[in-house]
Amino acid sequence: MSDALSEDGSDINQDDSQEDVMTPAELIAKLEEAWLNEKFSPELLENKSEVVECVMEQLTHMEANLQRVKKGDAKAGFHRMEIDRIRFVLSSYLRSRLQKIEKFFPHVLEREKSRVDGQQSLLSPEEFAFAKEYYANTETYLKTVALKRMPPNLQTVDMLKAVPEPCLDSFVFLRVKERQENILIEPESDEQRDFVVDLEEGSQHLMRYRTIAPLVSSGAVQLI
Amino acid sequence: MFCEKAIELIRELHRMTDGQLPAFNEDGLRQVLQEMEALYEQNQADVNEAKTVGRADLIPSIKLRHSCLLRNQRCIVAYLYDRLLRIRALRWEYGSVLPANVRFHMSAEEVQWFGQYKKSLASFMRSIGGEEGLDITQDMKPPKSLYIQVRCLKDHGEFEIDDGTVILLKKNSQVRTGCFLAVSFLMLQ
Amino acid sequence: METPSYFPVPPGVGMEENFLSLDDILLSQERLPVRTECVFPRLGFLEKSSDSQDIPEGTKMEIPLWLSKGLYERKRKVLTVELPKVYKEGWRTVFSADPNVVDLHKMGPYYYGLGSQMLHFDSPENPDIAKTLLQTFIGRFRRTMDSSQNAYNEDTSALVGRLDCLEKVLFRSGQNGLNGFQSWEKGQASQLTASSLVLNYRKRKLIDVQA
Repeated sequence: MSDALSEDGSDINQDDSQEDVMTPAELIAKLEEAWLNEKFSPELLENKSEVVECVMEQLTHMEANLQRVKKGDAKAGFHRMEIDRIRFVLSSYLRSRLQKIEKFFPHVLEREKSRVDGQQSLLSPEEFAFAKEYYANTETYLKTVALKRMPPNLQTVDMLKAVPEPCLDSFVFLRVKERQENILIEPESDEQRDFVVDLEEGSQHLMRYRTIAPLVSSGAVQLI
Repeated sequence: MFCEKAIELIRELHRMTDGQLPAFNEDGLRQVLQEMEALYEQNQADVNEAKTVGRADLIPSIKLRHSCLLRNQRCIVAYLYDRLLRIRALRWEYGSVLPANVRFHMSAEEVQWFGQYKKSLASFMRSIGGEEGLDITQDMKPPKSLYIQVRCLKDHGEFEIDDGTVILLKKNSQVRTGCFLAVSFLMLQ
Repeated sequence: METPSYFPVPPGVGMEENFLSLDDILLSQERLPVRTECVFPRLGFLEKSSDSQDIPEGTKMEIPLWLSKGLYERKRKVLTVELPKVYKEGWRTVFSADPNVVDLHKMGPYYYGLGSQMLHFDSPENPDIAKTLLQTFIGRFRRTMDSSQNAYNEDTSALVGRLDCLEKVLFRSGQNGLNGFQSWEKGQASQLTASSLVLNYRKRKLIDVQA
């Protein structure tokens, strides 16, 4: 019975032949990391489609296994709970992203347009489709109801200027996963000068997002 | 002063801070658009006069009217856009079918926007992962196991609860356990 | 409680205004004292005190911030924007003595917002205005935060009534945090409740029926 439910991460017997295969526990850790970063960063981060896909597969697999557990087995409850928790984290992650896509849609699409080949896309293909539809839907609506009834020189609104950009100067809490040296901190007032700090592994900080944004995407720090 | 109608629209919406949707103010919108038309026509006339007869002294007034036009445009767009944000919230709070008294406050075009939003969201959710997709409008709150106080009727020994910790169940001792399924399991024994 | 699915466009930060923010639109409706530096032909009807066809040069009037910003130009001045008295030196002295005694709701309620917007108009006093705004905020912040974090189930209306709009938002978010923590401690956080938006609609439906 325990073999059938091995994907809860507690007893993993992956075959050693595929070395780059993530264990279920690693996969869930990746999801949680992406989830927290997305929840706390003011801007939309790069999509993690592979993680989402793998987690979806994992969930289907776990559901199927759970069907085979006989009723009344105490373990079923724990595994049900585990499935619910994973599905919550995954849904919450995708919700945070969708919310930001709606909030910043002109900027998100602009960034996608100016992306050079080989540069990782912010949006997954599904998110890109959603963003485009959201833009078209909203633009059409504003045009039909108001803009085209306005004087000729006032019939357009630049959505890039109208919809605010993410505020990168927000402060975020973070935990350092890989030690960093010489992080430049900009002054908060005229009396202050800029200075550099080292971030020790495992230490926690409250900092301006703009300063550490590259470290979030490289995975060197974790937003908390 | 100009633009009084426009700010009325904004105030009306702003008063409902909790995200409720007041009835679409078609009449207010029309009045602002009418004022814009009048401002525009007056400006057209003054611009022509400034050009043809060289009346540069009209420019400050043209500029003032233009500022008012821009203000009216901003207020209308902000009014409509904020309403869309409220309508979007309805999808997440109510689901895809809205009660009649809520729909009643929406304009025909808003109903259309809502329909398209629903569609976009649905196809997004269908496309997640494999076959069936994932309904992300569910699971809005983290799952909670309810804590239950149990009194042991007989010695059971060690018992693993859902977070992996092991508790010791001794006869007549009382413990809080995290999962009622675990309890029902023990009750069956 | 706020509806968790409605996310209004937030007001701009500092001197910025967000085009679509209802808060910023209301802020820019605040009236400023100005003096016209030229004639505004054919707009005399906007100035109620006179019955001439034009607004003459040198007229003192009050116009909204948005219009002042629209008309203001450094090079070709069509009007001079005067400081509202709360930003003038007299009041700045009061603020620097004890920012906590001032009723910023009465004096504002957009004391910080409007003050930051005043920096758009070139005035030699701008650096002092900016400094006073910052010092006032810092001077009052401690009390605002302390009470928002400690007043649980207490009547805070007397304190909140004297806060500026920005401070009020901060106070509320502090209170939300406190209330959330308290209900978590009591184990109520996981209780299922109907969405407040849905509840409010139900209330309204009832009122509609009664009316």
